[in-house]
Amino acid sequence: MDWLEQELAKALARKEPAAGFDGRVRARLHRRPRWLAIAATILVMMGAGGEAAWRQHRGQLAKEQVMTAMRIAGSKLNRVQMQLKGTEQ
Amino acid sequence: MTYLANEVIGLTSVRRALDFGELMREHRAMVFSVAWHFLHDRELAEETAQDVFLSLHTHLAGIETSAHAGFWLRKVAVQRSIDAARKRSRRPQVALEDVAEPSVRPAAGDPMLGGMLRRLIATLPETPRMAMILRYQEDLDPTEIAETMGIPLGTVKSHIQRSLALLRGKLERRGVGER
Repeated sequence: MDWLEQELAKALARKEPAAGFDGRVRARLHRRPRWLAIAATILVMMGAGGEAAWRQHRGQLAKEQVMTAMRIAGSKLNRVQMQLKGTEQ
Repeated sequence: MTYLANEVIGLTSVRRALDFGELMREHRAMVFSVAWHFLHDRELAEETAQDVFLSLHTHLAGIETSAHAGFWLRKVAVQRSIDAARKRSRRPQVALEDVAEPSVRPAAGDPMLGGMLRRLIATLPETPRMAMILRYQEDLDPTEIAETMGIPLGTVKSHIQRSLALLRGKLERRGVGER
């Protein structure tokens, strides 16, 4: 190493960060779970919302099936009544 | 002693060696100094060093020894410092022309020379600046620098040689040299 390299090694020697560095890192570490909790809550809420929408969709389907069944039954009844009227005449 | 007992003791000692607080105490000067010498901005260097340790905390399970942690931290500190400089999206804060001409010319061994050298290093482009920091702060050889920075060995060697020649020229023009 010549004089310049020796001076560079001295000039670029490691330095400690300002006092309390470890505490500041730990403070940021402890702030993290709050965000995780918020993200988890949002996911649960989205899940709950999705479940409600799925239930509503299934209810709508069931309602449509009942209405279709009633329409079929109604038309059958109509046909039977017409046939009955025809035999009476 | 049984095999299981040895295993438990072994695992305990590994766990103790990888205590996050101890790793931080052992490596914080290295991480902070890489960022500080590269960015030449104390506040940004502190923030970058904190980010590096937060990242270590996330990846702690994959770290095997303290030496492994040191190697990992150096690599991440290099990358995060480069990223921070790019985000800052401006040239190094000190231009070579702006480095003040000292009223009294410092000579080798003079503490004033250290400040001048740090400001001159801060004016180098990204890659040679980081190569010089790893060479003279971390005392890494060119092969280790190439591995840490992920660049070819020849590139590291030429950056160091050219940077040294540039610094020598600048210092000689300012009348600074060995007494």
